[in-house]
Amino acid sequence: MTAGVSQIPLAYILILGGLLFGLGLYGALLRTNAVRILMSIELMLNAVNINLVAFNQYLSPGYVNGQIFSIFVITVAAAEAAIGLAIILEIVRRRNIVDIDKINLLKW
Amino acid sequence: MSLPVVINLYTLSFALLALIALVAAYEVVTNRLITHAAFFLALVFVAVAGIFLLLGAEFLAVAQVLVYAGAVTVMIIFAIMMSQLNEIRIEECGRPPFTRRLWLRLVSSQWGLLPLLFAVVFALAMFGLYARAVWPARALLVDRVGPATSNIAIVGADLFSTYAIPFEIASVILLVALVGAIVLTAKEGRS
Repeated sequence: MTAGVSQIPLAYILILGGLLFGLGLYGALLRTNAVRILMSIELMLNAVNINLVAFNQYLSPGYVNGQIFSIFVITVAAAEAAIGLAIILEIVRRRNIVDIDKINLLKW
Repeated sequence: MSLPVVINLYTLSFALLALIALVAAYEVVTNRLITHAAFFLALVFVAVAGIFLLLGAEFLAVAQVLVYAGAVTVMIIFAIMMSQLNEIRIEECGRPPFTRRLWLRLVSSQWGLLPLLFAVVFALAMFGLYARAVWPARALLVDRVGPATSNIAIVGADLFSTYAIPFEIASVILLVALVGAIVLTAKEGRS
């Protein structure tokens, strides 16, 4: 099961996770379209999943604790996407905007 | 932790998948059309599923393709299609001169080099943290359930024994999300 894993240095996978998370963080912080922010959050969750699986396979091969944690992350991400998109649809329906800089009713 | 240079088939295929994932993720953040960004997001999900497969997490790879590439992407595209977002259309504004375009490429926060720069700085910072961390010794490979047990069998056994209660809670979360999404998007005043 883990025969091929040790062929890849762990550092490579960690760097990929860091780069993906950085891109997602940038998108979540600096883009203003609500749907794109949701997509960036999904990117970040994916990067975290990569790190979880990598640490699992390198530090305790034979166990699947990290993978099960990733499964729960996927579950919560699916729920979050459904609720987030429903909220965005409702905002678009009521006010016809998706720019989060203009959705500031609760700001003060 | 150092950064060794290892070249074999696993590393090469990992590098290919990682390149696809990173380019697609950059497009997700910077593409001017949000529909294209959504499709690039599906590409990221598939590439990450390939990386899971490479890491020996077969069940997770399949779940990733089913849930993310299948369900979440379709849901996002549905949401885009059901709302009139102005980012769907390209604004035809003509091509600015080359130097101006180069300048925009470099500094624009929307589609410039800035996301890449940010990601590289972030990854380097994380790598510095990892390099200073104290790593636990790598555990020996244990055959818990039996020899030649597949990844899916181990995941299933763990999910329904050790993690049975979180599993049930996850099902409740999904149910609540389902009901909440329906309540939020249902038309009002229809008794």
